[in-house]
Amino acid sequence: MILSNTRFGEIEYSADDIISFSDGLIGFPSNTDFLLINPKPNTPFRWLQSIDEPSLAFLVAFTEAIVPAYAPEVDDRIASELELDEETPQMLLTTVTIPAGNPQEMTTNLLGPIIINGATMKAKQVILTDDLYTVRHRVFATTERVTEKVAA
Amino acid sequence: MLVLTRKLHQSIVIGDQIEVVVLEVRGEQVRLGIKAPKDVTVHRKEIYEQIQEENKSASEARLEDIPGG
Repeated sequence: MILSNTRFGEIEYSADDIISFSDGLIGFPSNTDFLLINPKPNTPFRWLQSIDEPSLAFLVAFTEAIVPAYAPEVDDRIASELELDEETPQMLLTTVTIPAGNPQEMTTNLLGPIIINGATMKAKQVILTDDLYTVRHRVFATTERVTEKVAA
Repeated sequence: MLVLTRKLHQSIVIGDQIEVVVLEVRGEQVRLGIKAPKDVTVHRKEIYEQIQEENKSASEARLEDIPGG
């Protein structure tokens, strides 16, 4: 199948590639079917590209690659909704915000992770109740930013 | 909007399965206890709105701002 008119041109995909969010993403309940596409090889960043609405794509990242300590707890209700057990391959993504022209200020939303069952491709954006995490977690530590700015 | 006045430890019942109890009132803060079935999600509204806002900004990211590759 081919998805046309996206920001990334035409995307060829098969039925197995479709990630399905029965509730959509938070604030976007009517967009349920997505593809995960790779904008830049060898980076943890991906676009969650809507199939229902080709102009809509969310920047996400494999969180373990950008925030290695991140370990959200998935409660039983979500595990059963997504049919997850210990053996199920899972993907954990979080949305990424980059202020225009300023990648050093990148943040990721650790309070609302996206969990994908890699076997069934069922997915859900979860709201954690854990106070440890914030919606705007800085990906680059302050010292790194300062160093970069000095170097620049 | 339905407006009800409740005192400490009083509750309201929504439908057959949801109960909201006033647990504590302290100055401007009110602590609520919520009893609901497992398939009913309960969230603080501002968190929900913040996540919605982050989703929106993630959809506005520019390809050229993504580091690496």
